[in-house]
Amino acid sequence: MAARHKSVETKFMEDRDAVLRGLRGLDRRTFLKVLAATTGAVMAKSLMPPHSFQLIEVANAAPDKTASAAGMAGKPPFTFAYVSDTHLYQRTLNQRFVRAAVKAVDDVNALDPQPDFVLFGGDLAQLGQREELDLGMQILAELKAPVKMMVGEHDWFYDLGDAWQEMFGPPNYSFDWKGVHVVVLMSVHEKDFWTARKMTPLQRMHTVAGLDNGIQSRFEVGDDERKWLAADLAKVPHTTPLLVFSHSPLYKYYRNWNFWTDDAEQVQAILKPYQHVTVIHGHTHQMLYNQIGNISFYGLLSTAWPWPYAPTGLPPLTIQMNRADPFDQFDGLGDGRINVRADGLADKIYSLWDRNPVTVKADYLVSHGKIARPPAPQFPSY
Amino acid sequence: MKPARPLFFSLLAATAVVASFTLVGAQGPGPLADPKSENQAGFPADLYSWVIPSDNPQTPAKIALGKALFFDDRLSADGKISCDHCHAPAKGFTDQLPTSMGIRAQFGQRNAPTILNALFNVTQFWDGRAPTLEAQIQGPVTNPVEMGMKSTDDAVAKIKAIPEYQKQFQDVFGHDVTFADMERAIAAYERTQLAFDSPFDKFIAGDPSAISDSAKRGWSIFNGKGRCMSCHAWNPTQPLFTDQKFHNIGVSAHNANFVPLARKALDTLSKSGAGEQEIDKLAIGTNMSGLGRFLVTKQPHDIGAFRTMSLRNLLVTQPYFHDGSQVTLWDTIDHYNKGGVQNPYLDGGIVALGLSEAEEDDLVAFLASLTSPEYEQASKEEYDLQFKRSRTDRPQRDTAAANGDKGRGPGLAGPFGDIGPAQNEENPALLGGD
Amino acid sequence: MTRRSIALATAAGCAAIFAAVAYAPRLRAQQEPPLPVHQVPDSKSGGTVVMLCDGKTSVEVKGLKPGEAMPHAQAVEIARQLMAQWQREHPNEKWEMAQQEHQTDQSSQPLPAPPAAPGADATAKATGAKPQSKGTQQGDTYASFTDRDYKVWKNQTDNFVEQGKQFFHDGAALGGTIGVSCDMCHPDASNTHPETYPKYQVQLQRVALLRDMIDWCIENPLKGKALDPNDTRLRALEAYILAQRKGVALDYGKH
Repeated sequence: MAARHKSVETKFMEDRDAVLRGLRGLDRRTFLKVLAATTGAVMAKSLMPPHSFQLIEVANAAPDKTASAAGMAGKPPFTFAYVSDTHLYQRTLNQRFVRAAVKAVDDVNALDPQPDFVLFGGDLAQLGQREELDLGMQILAELKAPVKMMVGEHDWFYDLGDAWQEMFGPPNYSFDWKGVHVVVLMSVHEKDFWTARKMTPLQRMHTVAGLDNGIQSRFEVGDDERKWLAADLAKVPHTTPLLVFSHSPLYKYYRNWNFWTDDAEQVQAILKPYQHVTVIHGHTHQMLYNQIGNISFYGLLSTAWPWPYAPTGLPPLTIQMNRADPFDQFDGLGDGRINVRADGLADKIYSLWDRNPVTVKADYLVSHGKIARPPAPQFPSY
Repeated sequence: MKPARPLFFSLLAATAVVASFTLVGAQGPGPLADPKSENQAGFPADLYSWVIPSDNPQTPAKIALGKALFFDDRLSADGKISCDHCHAPAKGFTDQLPTSMGIRAQFGQRNAPTILNALFNVTQFWDGRAPTLEAQIQGPVTNPVEMGMKSTDDAVAKIKAIPEYQKQFQDVFGHDVTFADMERAIAAYERTQLAFDSPFDKFIAGDPSAISDSAKRGWSIFNGKGRCMSCHAWNPTQPLFTDQKFHNIGVSAHNANFVPLARKALDTLSKSGAGEQEIDKLAIGTNMSGLGRFLVTKQPHDIGAFRTMSLRNLLVTQPYFHDGSQVTLWDTIDHYNKGGVQNPYLDGGIVALGLSEAEEDDLVAFLASLTSPEYEQASKEEYDLQFKRSRTDRPQRDTAAANGDKGRGPGLAGPFGDIGPAQNEENPALLGGD
Repeated sequence: MTRRSIALATAAGCAAIFAAVAYAPRLRAQQEPPLPVHQVPDSKSGGTVVMLCDGKTSVEVKGLKPGEAMPHAQAVEIARQLMAQWQREHPNEKWEMAQQEHQTDQSSQPLPAPPAAPGADATAKATGAKPQSKGTQQGDTYASFTDRDYKVWKNQTDNFVEQGKQFFHDGAALGGTIGVSCDMCHPDASNTHPETYPKYQVQLQRVALLRDMIDWCIENPLKGKALDPNDTRLRALEAYILAQRKGVALDYGKH
């Protein structure tokens, strides 16, 4: 779809209006809290801010929550937490996913010390509906630490990203944090499969939501965004550690389930010159990790439902988790943290619900499995 | 395997003989203390053969010795607490108190489990810290708030000083009194407490009129909508209504503050280099008791987890749960019906069930059908009491929560009703419950 | 497969007829008038033109020198093209396999595949070569299955499996109330392992069959009501799940 050119002031005012519209969906107490924070932030910002309004950051604006210069400065080590793949339906339809998302928020809020920020790994909504995204935003707004949002295909393909961008800003962006350059990608673009089939937006969304129907296209970062990535990284020295947040895995695991990024090799080529690159991805709903050349890959857990391992293509370094018990609504799910080490590599802690946590270390990946081997399952998928 | 009947009669005879020797001035323990026959409907013969240890076979003399010890209050520091003080035969081998009272009127933090069918448990205690019946005995004997002996040596010294016991130990074990042998003898007696033969067992054996229609509906709910069977597992090979595993169903969350408590527990345990006794003390005495199996395994997923208990003879082993906090069976079902009490470690299998009042009544009728014949009268009286109370007094009931989050739970703030994030992180006791 | 083998049989049959047409006059020249000979158009590229026995439909095989034999796969493809062309010209005609006079060649059927003779030649099977009618049993129920039967039955079976696939992807159709469908946790029916039933199913705490576990999943993760064992939906789901595990060895009781 064609992008209309807007002046920065117009975009700012539109964003601000969107923020205030969003406030109407909240209950009274939260509304007042947000309004106070927003008003303060609006007055604090000049009329021409460099970034568009991001409700989450504004709503939770407090001295210890904004990404202040002091917070971003310094060097690793640091820790960030994540909540991912919440797949929320409207509350009247499905409580279970809401409860799980809230449980993850509680877990992160209970961390002591608090993480530097929280990554949301994509797929906030299940069918990309406005109510679902609003519900997700309300839940994530309870997080004490600052939140960095990332989009997934379930959020995007109902309206091709209109609601998401209105609520959360551009789907790809970058920032620096304590000497690490962090890139957030929109890696679930798909070539148009819906126009020829004359699909309605909801049909398109349902098609994308179905993992195994084979009709949707494979995920890709896409030419435009790869160019953006290259340009963004052009200013970053090769010695700077990179964190790349992506919904799709940025490698090729299992095509049939879109555990796949079609232009993975090209993206990896852009990342190749950097000494320490860690990709953190969502979408796969399982404990998953890989090492390709200089890049470490960690998959995030979902809060909504777990997936079995694909019949082929599992990275050899991944040690499967035990299969999930369907009696237990939380089994195989969870949240977690990533510890970025002083050298810029990252260890991942999988905080599995109703199971003991599992830590996967950068040493294990970088040594290609020779040291620090994570525990083995007794009952992998079959 | 020895034939059942001859064992039964010789045990009866041996008991009568021994009782006259060792019981000093006390009333006899009564017929409910007698060893039970294996000739009961639902008796799991294969399982029985698996659980009798090869190094402690059942013999009449050993059982009689064990029984004598079981009812002997000289095993305690002040001479007033015997095993049956908390495990009384007439009370289903419990004390029917929320938590047990031990030496010098001190109360522990855990409810006394029954000895009935305890031989079939894979582990003993609510947190499974004892791997065998033998190993369990040391716990209460040396626990400062239970029987209060300073050490097992003290216990041995006391028993050794009694000539009748000296002779019996020589006869049974061929040498002087040791604590290990005391454990073997008591465990052998405990292994005679078999409790099957309930109306449900007869129903399963093929008598359709053995239980009421209400109980049959309850059995159906138990297997289906109630989701009970998945943890309170029953099958003819292991007809015990327990999966022998540990689950956090949210009982501790009524009173405890879990996350800081867990951290405190980790600190304490790592500092004192805790052995079994330390854990025992913590389990019974301190406010850490609510942490459950975590104190034994120190695994995060065991925080607040307790052993799934058998459901037989519940109407003589009230009150319920590890802290004895629930008074009627309706209270326990209300607890499950609303999805337990929210806490960060609540087992994901605990969900709101949406049971109606009639369905709860049916479930209780089913549970009542698990009563062994010797407790029939006492159970009936208890059922009537509980039934009456259940018509007016239901502190755990939360119908809105049970029916699926359409309404707000009590005591909760936040925009999400009773599934909302804890507004007050300090006190999960405010979440969905008492 | 079916179309290809029919086409091939047709091609073979046509070739036979063509050959008969071409050579018959030599055998019986005195008794009958010559049969019509089809005019096969010349090849434009120096290859070979293959014509169907209707005398009209033809296909050019580039690069095939006159007298040269085609590889099997190519021959199948040419036959398919001929059929496709013919069907385009005759959209309202239904193509049917003529009833075989002798024993149906079972190896041309897609299912069920009865045990082939040891060392059976794959090519022979695919080309629809017919076994000797003398060596096989005749007259009973299972001897009378025809290609038509197989086609009809496969169609029915595939439809039923397809129905199961629909239900598998639609929780609401099964009575689920929270928008969860089977394919969410079991894409392509993965991790359903139907070959391990009967087994002691921990969630049910009893020995279960596949359909018991399907029912339990409908009641619990999907939050619906258990289906009756004779419900079409339950049976179709079972069919779909089993169909996805074709070829996996049975292993009852495996956890």
